[in-house]
Amino acid sequence: MASDLLSIGRSGAQAARIALDVTAQNIANASTDGYVRRSAKLAEVSSSGGIGTIGDVSLSGVRLDSVVRNADLFRQAEVRRTGADAARADAEVAGLENIQAAVEQSNVYNAMVGFEASLQQLVGDPTSSSLRANVIEDARTMVGTFNIASSALDAVGTGLRFEATDAITQVNTLSGELARVNLRLARAADASSDQTALLDQRDSLLQQLSAFTDVSTTINADSTVELRLGGASGPLMVQGGASGTLSMTTAGDGTITFAVSGMAASPVAASLTGGSLAGKAQALTKLAAIHTQLDALAQTLANTVNTAQGNGITPANTAGQPIFAGGPPITAASLTLALANGAGLATAPAGAGANSRDAGNLNAMRTALGQADPVGGMDALLFDISGTVQGRTVTRDALRTIANGALVSLQAQAGVDLDQEAVNLVRFQQAFQASGKVMQTAKDIFDTLLAIR
Amino acid sequence: MTTISTSTSAFYERSSMDIADLRSRAEGLQADLSRGQRIARSSDDPVGASRLRQLQRADSLSQIDIANAAKASTNLQLTDSALGTFADYVIRIQELTAQAANGTLTDAGRASLGAEIGQIRGNMIQLANSRDVEGGALFGGQSAGDAYTLDAAGNATYAGTSTAGDLPLGDGQNVTRGLTGPEFLNFPVGSAQPDLLAALKALSDGLQAGGATAIQAARDGLAALSQSMDQITTAQTVVGTRLAWVDLTTERRTNLTEMRSAEETDVGGTDIASTVARLQETMTVLEASQASFTKLASLSLFSLLN
Repeated sequence: MASDLLSIGRSGAQAARIALDVTAQNIANASTDGYVRRSAKLAEVSSSGGIGTIGDVSLSGVRLDSVVRNADLFRQAEVRRTGADAARADAEVAGLENIQAAVEQSNVYNAMVGFEASLQQLVGDPTSSSLRANVIEDARTMVGTFNIASSALDAVGTGLRFEATDAITQVNTLSGELARVNLRLARAADASSDQTALLDQRDSLLQQLSAFTDVSTTINADSTVELRLGGASGPLMVQGGASGTLSMTTAGDGTITFAVSGMAASPVAASLTGGSLAGKAQALTKLAAIHTQLDALAQTLANTVNTAQGNGITPANTAGQPIFAGGPPITAASLTLALANGAGLATAPAGAGANSRDAGNLNAMRTALGQADPVGGMDALLFDISGTVQGRTVTRDALRTIANGALVSLQAQAGVDLDQEAVNLVRFQQAFQASGKVMQTAKDIFDTLLAIR
Repeated sequence: MTTISTSTSAFYERSSMDIADLRSRAEGLQADLSRGQRIARSSDDPVGASRLRQLQRADSLSQIDIANAAKASTNLQLTDSALGTFADYVIRIQELTAQAANGTLTDAGRASLGAEIGQIRGNMIQLANSRDVEGGALFGGQSAGDAYTLDAAGNATYAGTSTAGDLPLGDGQNVTRGLTGPEFLNFPVGSAQPDLLAALKALSDGLQAGGATAIQAARDGLAALSQSMDQITTAQTVVGTRLAWVDLTTERRTNLTEMRSAEETDVGGTDIASTVARLQETMTVLEASQASFTKLASLSLFSLLN
């Protein structure tokens, strides 16, 4: 018989101590971000009988097999994927809302209606100097609101690109960190507390990265991770201890593209589909489209009015000079008011004579404006952007719900449940006491043997 | 073994998300109520916001139409009263001419009647040159100066444009803002269109010349005056019809404005009853979930194990 009751009791007490330590660690980290619940996995120590000792009893107690990290790789990947989607939608909606505010709050639509109304009012008394001054002032307001809308859109673009630059710095920092964790993971002993802590760090870094860009991960046998950006076929970002550098290129129209350098011989273009970087890129693309439309509207308006103005004569019987100028080309930003005085408005048709109250040319201008309909175009532009915001908000809310669900489901599985830990505390304390009792019994037996006389 | 099927942090996470969601819903409803408008930004309801923009555009253009209609109405009333005075003058001249046509009257008597007609003609020229509310010639069409100019011999010549010009009343409707001088001072005789002012000058000069031609001039004048009276009465009818047209479009515009503001309320206004009900509902759910959260959160096995 090779069993030793005292050492069995000692191993039991030791295992219960370790299990209590793990429980205490769980309780202490119940609200730590990225902490995954540990449990002590115990294994029996016994040896099977050898030749000639079959049926022999050979029990040696218990040992700690490993500290198990209760992480579900699938749920973690889901949290990263849905989190990246939600972050993308969040960034896109935030950018789009800013674009909407830039166009809507510049009041360019109201100013255009004001200009239209003051032209209509001038028909009532084309030679009135106060009505003429009113037209010029409303035109000035409209030009101002176009300029404001344009610069507000530019400011939104600058802000989005600044945030994208910051996000890229973060991605590069996190990737470098991940490469270092990879190096240490390759050296850490299996199932040690050192390794579990590194794994926590690895998963936490991956989750942080997924807020900025969609990541595709491959976990190797040594627990190191291989990271690709923008899907499984995207460029390699982290492999072993090496990490690449993500960079951003801004095109002439303000849209951005990404590339990874450092892992391959030449930089590889990365098409990101998730994460806040992708959202900002999408918002910038929409911004460029809206800006082009706004410029086109300003140009249509200025050209229509200027053409009609050139066909008529002023009260001083001179040919009408352009009301608007800018550029070339005329854009929302370059639009200026060229006519300083209401006396220069060519309301009468050519040949009507000086001081004519004939509103023929003014009516032609209003008809031309009605046909080109820049006001309707501005309404369509506002509808376009607000419809996009509304649609994307619905998508954003849905993606957020999905991401929250995935996060809660991961936490439910990997997080610490204090009630369960309370039960474990009681259980392992009892186990410790029981092992102590075993040792007491061993001593009693020993004492009994010694007491034989 | 798991005692409760979820982790502590998941429980807190879920509770805080639910409560924050309810709270933001309640705040949104409260904002709708305090603003009185359902749409704060276009993206709240893109179709509704676009409709509101179009309604507000129509409203602000309609304000201009109201001003134009008032202006047209005033000018037409000025025209109408001037035409009434013209008719009075023509009747007075008819009386004088009828006296002058009497063969028993002396040449001197006729000459004085002719002089009086000449004076009345002067008044009529001044009346024809009166101004409208904008300061332009009332009967001069679109010209800036006087409608009639006088030469050294006293002949009046029309100096205005051929039409009076239109004022827009909204929805593509127009009204001609007044009459030009020739439209009521020229009267048809056969295919010719002689001018009343010229005819009166001939009458006045003829009566003052004396002799047999003076009686003939008076008889010719009576015929011309009768024609001219018809023309002026017709012109008054035209002006009256235009005034009625302005009133009609004003009434239509008022109806449209009412419809627009009703639609604006429908599209953009907050339905207070249903919003308050939904707010109350949300508040009830919020209170319940807060209360249940407090109860559940205080439930810890640690406090029970001794």
